[in-house]
Amino acid sequence: MNKNYIENKLSQELVLVQELIEKAKKAGISNVEVYGAYGHGEEVGLEKSDLNASQTLEETNFGVRVIESGSQGFVTTNNLPTLWESILEAKNLAKSQSTPDLDLVLPAPRFCGDPIDSYHPELDQIELSHLTNYAKELLDWRDKNPLISIDSGGLSLQKGYRFIASSQGVLQQEMSASISASVMGMAIEGDVVGSFDYDSGSGDTVLEFESEWNKAREEFALKCLRSLRAKPGKSFKGYVILPPDYVYSFFLGLFLSSLTGSNLRKGKSKMAGKLGSKVGSELLTIKDEPHLVGKAGSTTFDREGMPTEPLSVLDRGVLNCYFYNTYEAKKAGLKESNGCASGGSSSLPGMGAHQLQIVPGNSDKQEFYKLDRPALVMGRLSGTSQASSGDFSGVIKGGLFIENGLEIPIKEVQIVGNAFEALNQIVAISSQGEWLGRSSFVPYMLLDGFQITGN
Amino acid sequence: MRDFLKECLVDENGFVELRYHDKEARSFFAEKDRIESSSVKRRTGIGVRVLEEGTWGFAATGSLSKESIKNAILSARKAAQVSSSLRQTKVKGLAQGKFAKGDFLGKGTQDFRKSTEEKLELILSIQKEAMKSSKQLKSVGCGYSEIFETKAIVSTDGADVSFEIYRPEFRVSATAEEGSQLESGNESIGVTGGWDCLFRDKSPNQISEIAVKTAIDLLGSDLPQGGLATVILSPSIVGLLVHEAIGHTVEADFVLAGSVARGKIGHRVGSDLVTLCDSGTSEFQEGAGGSIPVDDEGILTEKTTIIQDGILKNYLHNRETANFFGVPPTGSARSWEYSDIPLIRMRNTFLMPGNSSLQEMIESTKNGYFLDGAKNGQADATGEFMFAVQRAYRIENGKITKMLKGVSVSGLAFEVLGAVDMVSKEFKWDLGSGHCGKGQPAKVDAGGPYVRTKVLLGGA
Repeated sequence: MNKNYIENKLSQELVLVQELIEKAKKAGISNVEVYGAYGHGEEVGLEKSDLNASQTLEETNFGVRVIESGSQGFVTTNNLPTLWESILEAKNLAKSQSTPDLDLVLPAPRFCGDPIDSYHPELDQIELSHLTNYAKELLDWRDKNPLISIDSGGLSLQKGYRFIASSQGVLQQEMSASISASVMGMAIEGDVVGSFDYDSGSGDTVLEFESEWNKAREEFALKCLRSLRAKPGKSFKGYVILPPDYVYSFFLGLFLSSLTGSNLRKGKSKMAGKLGSKVGSELLTIKDEPHLVGKAGSTTFDREGMPTEPLSVLDRGVLNCYFYNTYEAKKAGLKESNGCASGGSSSLPGMGAHQLQIVPGNSDKQEFYKLDRPALVMGRLSGTSQASSGDFSGVIKGGLFIENGLEIPIKEVQIVGNAFEALNQIVAISSQGEWLGRSSFVPYMLLDGFQITGN
Repeated sequence: MRDFLKECLVDENGFVELRYHDKEARSFFAEKDRIESSSVKRRTGIGVRVLEEGTWGFAATGSLSKESIKNAILSARKAAQVSSSLRQTKVKGLAQGKFAKGDFLGKGTQDFRKSTEEKLELILSIQKEAMKSSKQLKSVGCGYSEIFETKAIVSTDGADVSFEIYRPEFRVSATAEEGSQLESGNESIGVTGGWDCLFRDKSPNQISEIAVKTAIDLLGSDLPQGGLATVILSPSIVGLLVHEAIGHTVEADFVLAGSVARGKIGHRVGSDLVTLCDSGTSEFQEGAGGSIPVDDEGILTEKTTIIQDGILKNYLHNRETANFFGVPPTGSARSWEYSDIPLIRMRNTFLMPGNSSLQEMIESTKNGYFLDGAKNGQADATGEFMFAVQRAYRIENGKITKMLKGVSVSGLAFEVLGAVDMVSKEFKWDLGSGHCGKGQPAKVDAGGPYVRTKVLLGGA
């Protein structure tokens, strides 16, 4: 299964899909779109600190969208020979509706530039036996860290492509290949069981993968071992330090979901009418950069085949954009989308950014750990959130309590907050940061005024 | 299909298992007085599992031709061979459980064949009606979805069964506004069976009214005072507690990885009032969402008593772990789609009812909280859990008083079970439209009686 084979497969499927779209047009189905996603995967599984099943999978999944007079039907199938039947079924789904909206249309093609090819042929040299060797290396590493228990994980090689073709003439395609690994588990010492933790690493090349993965497994061990020593935390109100891993899951994810055209239109967003207004700290600047070279989330086209573009989301606390697909752009009175249709073959186009970058600040992250008042270093937030209100709460897993320069692992503490208020609770952003998932740069953040509840 | 699969196994040596899985999911959603989405998702294929040289190999194919299946068997064998020399602990065998034989028909499948128009009309009318009920509402969304799946499992050591399952779900979400405050309420139901089960306890309108009332009531509510508190947990929260905080720790694969339940068989892990079970059938009430007649290894499902009167009795097993522990498999191996390897999963997890009435429990609580409607939850290897609560109320001097928002509860599972001092007679399956995640989703249900205990409340 090499790049040539996959390129040929892509060409053949595209020809067939375009023929079916022409057939549909002749049959009076004038608005049809097919989004295809092919994947060939090989994986070596891990369980109970040992090898588990090894597996292979190859599949193309097709998402078929038909719009008839302002109503939409969507059908997915993994069966190419029945794709025509899926087109007819999508048409029937559209026709069965009685609530048309003429703003619902398929977009006309726009220029997207050359596709980004992140398929490095060197990955064609990787086979299941190589993945098994990586897995063995991990188990040998675990033998040297006997307190670590690997509950599950795996080494995976993924190759594939995605394409979109429509009756309006949209035609885009992109290939990719990557190698990745993940591990989930905990540390155990006698009767003491630490908290679950997880880490992963991936790369488009072997070198990149090995570098990311080695770093990830060391980080995984550190987090697991730290939680073994965790003690019940105490209640206080004050500082929270957010390492890069937890910035989005703690509060920025909620804020970003409030920027979708759909949530704005439906009255579910507190950010409605805030374009051009200051909604957060002047320290915070966020951009969407979908064209960065060598980054995992880079792409020239979105779920509708429309061009992606660099966007300023938040500039020194001032809100600069919302995320639109074609339908929501029309509902907002815009001529076209801003290339933010998200999703894949198994879903209708949603909305979101592609590759967010948080601009680093001027502070040294080391200073966050030497504050004059107690601080909590966030870990995983095991909790709940409400997108519309921005409220979130939960138990902090793998957190640290900092006081008088001492770092104390804690457990059984809860935090309550609000994502929109948190935007203004930022008191410092570090100059240092990390690339998450080889895609988004995120610095460390220091926030103030949070209520922490201990036992 | 069974005969075709058996034909593919002729001439195969050792353990080979073929699992055909055809899954069709339909989903409809209405909001802002129109149908927002109407979709059908189909995924069909064969999952092939082999056990060779004490090592598992797995391959999956979306093509149903004999040639493709034979190729997948070869791929699975190759995968097993590649890793067998490096696997430290070989699989020594598979326990022989009670294989199901024949074809098992699903309940309620006639409702799957209802017209698309009828289902669209249902959600659109409920959504429109709800929006008229209050000017504070910014949005109401109403969704209906259903999954119909057919499986056939055949193995070289005796599995030979096919079955079908129908699972409809109905849900309403409402967003209300007052000044700059936005709050939302959700209510959902999901069952295994037909619409007679789906709408048995609450009509679509009643489900909608609960979601709307929750959103509006939350507008005027405050955060709770954080700290250790006496709580009465409704069946939905009890269900989430026993699923997330106990159930996962007794899945035998997790036990072997070192969960907090390891080595605790025969030990006290809860008060005398606590008896906890997991079952493939719907006990007490028809329609529990996680019901399956047969698991994905072809084993008949049974009721497994996990905790009896506070003492840990059993883990949940597949054939591999059952053989390791020297016990029969419990019919707990499940896979979400054809390309997923069967994992040990819960089905319907529940606490057995007790002797108190809910009324007695409330009246005897001077200072506490009544928690109803699970939002979501997670638990840890340590048994530490966290759940978010949809509707939380203060109990003051034996009476339910004001509603609170943003309530989450946490604790250590076995400590919370140990602190149980009242269990109600009432019983309900109440995990709504929830699914469990463990690398792959699984439709599960959970429930039980009302339970009084102590937990850590997150708050202001």
